[in-house]
Amino acid sequence: MLSLSSLISKASSLIDPNILPPSLLNQVNGSTNDGQTPAVLFRSNFRLPDSESPLAVIPCELSLPTGEHYFGRLHLSESFLCFSSSAPSSVSGTSSSSSSAAGPPSCGFTLPLVAIRRVERLHSRSYLFALAVTTWHNDQKLTLQFNSLRSTCEKFCEALKKNLRSQMSEMKNLRMLVGSCYSEWLVTGGKSKDGAKEEPDAGLGMVWRYPGDAKKLRDRSKMRLWAEYLRENGRNITLIRQPTFHKLIRVGLPNRLRGEVWELTSGSLYRRLFNPTLYTDTLTEFSGRHSLSIDEIEKDLNRSLPEYPGFQSEEGIGRLRRVLSAYSWKNPDVGYCQAMNIVVAALLIYMSETQAFFLLSTLCDRLVPGYYSQTMYGTLLDQRVFESLVEKTMPILWEHLVKSDVQLSVVSLPWFLSLFINSMPLVFAFRVLDVFFLEGPKVLFQVGLAILRINGEELLDVTDDGAFISCLKNYFLRLDESAHPRSDNEKLRAVTRFQELMVVAFREFSGITEQTITDQRTKHKDSVLSSIESFAKRTTLRNLGPESKRLSTNDLGYIYDRFYKVLYERQERLVAIELEKERLNEKKIMSSARSIGEKSINEKGRIGLGPSSQLMDYDYFREFLAGVAKWAIADSPSQLFSPGLGGSLDPQWGGNGRKKSINLSPWGDNAEPADHEFMQRLFRRWDTDYRSGLSLQDVVAGLAGIKGKKDIMESISYFFELYDDDGDGRVDREGILRISEALLFITRRGWETPPNIGDQNRNGEGKGGTDPFLGSVSGFIRRCFEYADPDQQGKQEEVSTGVEGMDELVDLLDLASDDEDGESVKSPVKEKGAIKGKEKEKDEDTEEKNSLDIDPNTRPSAMSANIALDPANPLHITLPTFRMIVLADEVLEYFFETGFADSIVLSTDGSKTPSGRNISAGASAFGNLGGGGIAGAKGLRGVLDNIVNDGMRVAQEVRRRMDEAQKELERNAVPGKYKEDEEEEGDAKSIMEGDRDLLKGAEASVVDEAAKLAIKTGLPEDGEASGTLLGSPTSSLATTHVGEELRTPTTPMPTRVEFEMDK
Amino acid sequence: MAEGGPKPSSSVKLVLLGEAAVGKSSLVLRFVNDDFQENREPTIGAAFLTQKCNLPSRTIKFEIWDTAGQERFASLAPMYYRNAQSALVVYDLTKASSLAKAKHWVAELQRQASPGIVIALVGNKLDLTNQSTGLESSMGGLSLSAAASDGDEEEEEEGDARQITTAEAKSYADEEGLLFFETSAKTGHNVQEVFTAIANAIPESTLKTRGGPGSGRTGGGAAGDTFGGSGGVNLSAVGETNKDGCAC
Repeated sequence: MLSLSSLISKASSLIDPNILPPSLLNQVNGSTNDGQTPAVLFRSNFRLPDSESPLAVIPCELSLPTGEHYFGRLHLSESFLCFSSSAPSSVSGTSSSSSSAAGPPSCGFTLPLVAIRRVERLHSRSYLFALAVTTWHNDQKLTLQFNSLRSTCEKFCEALKKNLRSQMSEMKNLRMLVGSCYSEWLVTGGKSKDGAKEEPDAGLGMVWRYPGDAKKLRDRSKMRLWAEYLRENGRNITLIRQPTFHKLIRVGLPNRLRGEVWELTSGSLYRRLFNPTLYTDTLTEFSGRHSLSIDEIEKDLNRSLPEYPGFQSEEGIGRLRRVLSAYSWKNPDVGYCQAMNIVVAALLIYMSETQAFFLLSTLCDRLVPGYYSQTMYGTLLDQRVFESLVEKTMPILWEHLVKSDVQLSVVSLPWFLSLFINSMPLVFAFRVLDVFFLEGPKVLFQVGLAILRINGEELLDVTDDGAFISCLKNYFLRLDESAHPRSDNEKLRAVTRFQELMVVAFREFSGITEQTITDQRTKHKDSVLSSIESFAKRTTLRNLGPESKRLSTNDLGYIYDRFYKVLYERQERLVAIELEKERLNEKKIMSSARSIGEKSINEKGRIGLGPSSQLMDYDYFREFLAGVAKWAIADSPSQLFSPGLGGSLDPQWGGNGRKKSINLSPWGDNAEPADHEFMQRLFRRWDTDYRSGLSLQDVVAGLAGIKGKKDIMESISYFFELYDDDGDGRVDREGILRISEALLFITRRGWETPPNIGDQNRNGEGKGGTDPFLGSVSGFIRRCFEYADPDQQGKQEEVSTGVEGMDELVDLLDLASDDEDGESVKSPVKEKGAIKGKEKEKDEDTEEKNSLDIDPNTRPSAMSANIALDPANPLHITLPTFRMIVLADEVLEYFFETGFADSIVLSTDGSKTPSGRNISAGASAFGNLGGGGIAGAKGLRGVLDNIVNDGMRVAQEVRRRMDEAQKELERNAVPGKYKEDEEEEGDAKSIMEGDRDLLKGAEASVVDEAAKLAIKTGLPEDGEASGTLLGSPTSSLATTHVGEELRTPTTPMPTRVEFEMDK
Repeated sequence: MAEGGPKPSSSVKLVLLGEAAVGKSSLVLRFVNDDFQENREPTIGAAFLTQKCNLPSRTIKFEIWDTAGQERFASLAPMYYRNAQSALVVYDLTKASSLAKAKHWVAELQRQASPGIVIALVGNKLDLTNQSTGLESSMGGLSLSAAASDGDEEEEEEGDARQITTAEAKSYADEEGLLFFETSAKTGHNVQEVFTAIANAIPESTLKTRGGPGSGRTGGGAAGDTFGGSGGVNLSAVGETNKDGCAC
């Protein structure tokens, strides 16, 4: 059986890159590769929100007020101006050079346009093009000298001007943000004109102290250094990163600035800038609501850094609760994952709730994507990456671990998942975080590798998991000790083990860059996702509930694959179509929309990536059914002949030559599913929770209801209940017609008729087809009305005073059956028992039964039909009646026995259904006929489709002509018995001829088939029975109609196209 | 024990599984350190601890893998229960949903873990129910509480947060052939007994012996028949460990 992932990869391989427009192609590649489109790279370099995209770039020289000059590139996006230096030109410090290869550029800034007060064109004496930029913090003036063609410079400035203007509205947000930054307070001493009167919230540490000894950490000197830097290089929103900035971070951030610098270096500050009220709004919106995540959060609140005094207080717990809850509401796909509580608790020591909220989003979305998702694929993936890096950098250790069967991830997984916070003493974990937010996820790998490298010798002596873990645990506890306690060199002795760790991590493993991590992730992603998926599948299938036991394991697996394939493929398709639409509607793509699209393509589409929607709406359901049942495929798929027009596209698109080759049908390359009332009923029936969507469990239970039926009675009840709208055990006139329509709908592409029926009716060719079914269905309608009960007895009698009461008719029936069974039956309801009894003997005495059912009742049946057809007489059939009627007809009986269940084909060896039926459901009627080599499949198919379409109309036509029929009947009803018999013969003949007419052009075998159809419907062996069968006005009308319709071949294609257009 | 010469010692890998916050880590902490902490940080990934357990005939060294309980960590579990010879599936007897989750774990183990794995079903947090003071042996406790739950299923005394009756869990355990205990990591009730019973139930053939050739009879024999005769076996084993001081 194909696994889902292989299906998906197959599906994506089917997307021909040549026919995709470039924008779409990027995204498709982005999803299969690593998401490193230029836009993604740009955003991650400058830590920009997802709504930004690179609009313009220009080489440029930056001159700072402090006198430094840097060459680099200036980038413009919708709301940012960013600079990164290409090489340090006037850098004095070299100590950071160890990381320069891997680290961030030595100088740069990410300046929100709203923070620019003024841009002036400098009148330089030379031909050079230069701008002076005054930022929000007035004391700063940057000079940007462009090194490019004048026209390029002009263009860049134009774009800058335009975007600057559009950002004016953000001014209010900027004020709010700046006021909440500790740096502002630090530099202005609380006397800012923007009114930062009181010290901004710098986390729980302000009240409950920050971890570690401030003196030992030299917090005061660090603060002084930072104050100086911030004064010279701008602060918070306008900060310029110079090499000193990186150095200041490497030595550890001062407590009160830590939160803000984390925000700044991770870029979450910019998210906060543009969504100033998102956090509080979210809390308000969802206040008092409950969810699984909320319950899970509640469980862990008291156990998040419990040793920190702030989290033994209501205040601390409250903050933690609010941040975690708000995030779980904002990103329900992630919700809450254990370890987030620890990370957020750590953040809250240094920053306000709002800051922590946005930093958590940044973590989950960009820094450690997928770590906390439902499937935790990011965690598993990074473990795989880490293992491969260990193997590469420390082959001897790796070999040893493999030999001793020690699993590396049992120690390293918690490191990554909680960002070292509960592995190392807090003071050190925060130092790692300082660098992590600045330089990105590679830091986790570098530190992890360094830990193993430093402990390499000891680890080589370890032979089991336990010793491995305790060795490292021990190491973490002694991080503050001297790394070289016995050294003579005093300076060396002063180096702590933690310092040693940082040096090893960032010097020895400086070769580990963001690119390394990206490449490795790409390399391992598929196998990690596949193993998650097979695990998820196994678990899901096991927990599908008792209903699922009625289906075989293979079938369940098939349903599972099919369910998610439809779900994800369709989601992707819809996104692609949406994007394409947008692209065409507006020349300039709304960047926000595109990034959303990119994101959903990247993040969804695989089970392993975590659930998106787990529900199928009706359209998904149709697509699902079309894959398992051939009757659910539309008769005239529009894209077969005009792919460009397929789907719900605007006609205007047709004219665009570039796009016509893209299949933008909402159904993709799959066959277009039909849309029939029966399918809607199935959907509603399966939708047990009334969510207008089906979960996997719903689908499994639904299919189990059809395919897992133990006997025919259950199957009949199932069908009946589908049409019993109000659940009162009755199906009304409308319902009866709908049932017959559905029967024809399901069988219109043929189905497996039993060999014995074929024998009887068609001279030994056990082939299925619609043909015999038409007759059965018309018989079904007739009998339904014949045996239907009036809705209200009293009313009924009033109306039908002219004729005998319904009860008497019933009595007549009973008498007939009494003759056969010697059983006194008083109502059609009990009649069922008689029929059932007969059923056993059915094989021997079919004729007898026919006569039982029909022959003695010709006259009453006519009368009852008369009443039945009167719209003024509401009537219904009950389940027992329905059962009786079905069992009275061999073809119908067989349909309910196996045909219906087998019309849905699940796994390829579907014969292993629990009922043990051994009919090869995979062999369709088409297959049989085509395989016989009698006729070209196409010709046959066309003919059959016509028959099918006609069949569909039979029931409709029946309804339309009811009134006519009734009038006709009224004239002939009472004396008409013998006369009718005569007419019937004529009718039968005409049908046969009609069929022959129609099939004249077709292959000989097809004619044979049609003849058989005629025989089956019109001429059963038993003359008398046939007479009565056709004696029913409804049936004769119906069959006649078949003839008529067949004479005028229908052209369903255009209608279908129209339908698509309407949609 | 007076058997002359060192007893054979073997290590047994044990994995703890169960819903979040049912007390898996607390059970381990009680067993390993005879300690209890009110608010323990949730386990991230898994924790690893070891503890020896002295049986009359041998010493078992448990290598305990204490896993994270949250649903989404379930996909990590195979990494930890791989090669495990025994498992503790823990539920919170004051929380009905936790037994359902425990059943999932049992099913998962029975299908995916090493064949012949010894599984114990443990209902923790007995201290939150009225039976918290029970000092009776496990079997005695079982019959008592089963009888009690028959009597007053609805009208529990005040302060009894029990949601899963002993009878319900026990009959499930019997059905699946699991060892069954109700414990309190807080009071320590029945905690040693769980581990001792598991040690007894490990078939000797699956032990990789370190201290010497595996000799003498084992306490429990195969997992299947252990439960049937567990009354006697467990009781004697409990007696031994209490004297020996299993925590070493």
